Amino acid sequence: MNLAFVQRWIRFLAIAVGMTFVAFPLYWMLLTALTPREQLFRPPFQLLRFDLSLENIIELLSATEFLVYLMNSMIVAAGAVVLNVIAATFAGYALSRYEFRLKHTVAQGTLLSYMFPPILLAIPLYILLSDLGLRNSYIGLILAHASISLPLNIWIMWQYFQIVPVSLEEAAWVSGASKLRGLLQVCLPSALPGMMSVAIFAFALSWNDFAFAFILQTDTSMYTLPVGLATFVERTAIHWGMIMSSSALISIPTFAMVFLLQRYLISGLGIAR
Amino acid sequence: MSIEAQNRWDKLRWVGATITPALLMLTLMAYLPIIYALTLGFYHRTAFNPDAVWTGLDNFIWIVNDPGLWHALNRSLVFTVGSVSAQLAFGLFFGLLLHQGMRGLNVMRTLVILPYLLPVVVVGLVFRWILNPEFGIVNQVLMDIGLIDLPINFFGGLDTAMLSVIVATVWQYGSFAALLIFARLQSINPKLYEAARTSGAGAWRCFMDVTLPNLRTTLLVIVLLRGIWMFNKFDLIWIITAGGPLEATETLPIYAYKLAFQDFDFGRAAAACTAMFLVLVIGSILYFRFFNPTREVEVGR
Repeated sequence: MNLAFVQRWIRFLAIAVGMTFVAFPLYWMLLTALTPREQLFRPPFQLLRFDLSLENIIELLSATEFLVYLMNSMIVAAGAVVLNVIAATFAGYALSRYEFRLKHTVAQGTLLSYMFPPILLAIPLYILLSDLGLRNSYIGLILAHASISLPLNIWIMWQYFQIVPVSLEEAAWVSGASKLRGLLQVCLPSALPGMMSVAIFAFALSWNDFAFAFILQTDTSMYTLPVGLATFVERTAIHWGMIMSSSALISIPTFAMVFLLQRYLISGLGIAR
Repeated sequence: MSIEAQNRWDKLRWVGATITPALLMLTLMAYLPIIYALTLGFYHRTAFNPDAVWTGLDNFIWIVNDPGLWHALNRSLVFTVGSVSAQLAFGLFFGLLLHQGMRGLNVMRTLVILPYLLPVVVVGLVFRWILNPEFGIVNQVLMDIGLIDLPINFFGGLDTAMLSVIVATVWQYGSFAALLIFARLQSINPKLYEAARTSGAGAWRCFMDVTLPNLRTTLLVIVLLRGIWMFNKFDLIWIITAGGPLEATETLPIYAYKLAFQDFDFGRAAAACTAMFLVLVIGSILYFRFFNPTREVEVGR
């Protein structure tokens, strides 16, 4: 038995332990979601099982408010994405095309906002939206989500527009296009990947957010998925099979994002802190 | 109006028009609320008493005299330091493994990134399930292999709750450290290793003399950014333990949340948040003074 052999096995063991730590919770979530109801109340559990069923998921969709929460989550996420793409694209464009003195302050402000405790933002938003009668409304939560992800997204668009050469636009202006047309027809197509990533980050933030939805939406009919699911644990009629089913369903967009955009996200995550 | 002035006016209008939507949103939903929150600490303002009354430093004096604040600060420090150092260890482990480059690398990379992007509620619920004292699989396995006789109440035990919450945060956020470290390792010039090896360095010396010094700034940035983030962490802790059992995991954000939305004393809650914010600002200034990770912050972000 030589040293290289031992080294290889130690490395293999390290990988196995590490990967188990990372993968097992996900595996157990999916397996529990697909475990038939009567098996769930009869531990011990087998680590591997093949008698899978969809009954938890069917029960979840038919006997709980899951679909209401899903609807709310989708409306809020869609609103946050639209607002972010429009506002971040225009603002990123302005920052990249025009010199102004405050530019550096904007960049530093982003770091400062990073330090700001989210809970400290949630308190005034709660009071403000209460006074405006916008608590428990879609528009209130949409605005909250959109403005939280906006600074990062402006920064992303700013970076993208720096790559798009000004000469392209100038050519359009010379041939008589207005500034708006120059932006829409010449700049935007080149900045499309940036807008895609803005949409993804805005969606991810809104879809995943627990804290703001939890504080601002106090009416159960306005709960988004994360808030609704968190209350499942306290309700006796809902068991762990259904809780894991709902966890798996709410993770589908995440799985999709990671698998479709893996290559992009690796470089993107560096930007997205 | 001269043509030049006309042009400048056009340009100003165009900049104004393009930046207005973003500025309007940020002003309404970020800047104004932040200013409001920072002044709120100086008022007596509760949910039942909408007329704010100026009380000067009363709220601050109250929270400083509340032992709960100091306990929460203490727990926040334990949580932040524990979680960040465990994330660093996780990041180094996977960063180095990914860097070795082997078959199945893509699968591994995907798996490591996944938890980072999962909704925090999923992470909280999954950990509550697998660490459940009655039906949790971890307890079952530990009992089967004879490591323990009685199930451990991971999130419900006074001694284990904080540690268990930290493990959950490492599972979700460790990938951030892993990816940054991996990216940095990829950019180390291989010639440095060759030079070290030709001068007789073994694997360990290579790591200490080449890898670690090159990682220094990356590690500093991770500690700064993750430290701020963990110090402010609210959602995951709330979902898993809600600060319990018996306040064993009640960190500062949970403490502030309870002041605001259980006692409905917005003034005191704002004072507590302002104090948190000040701790972070002062902490960051000191951190920059001593370590100066600026250059890497620009590259890393």
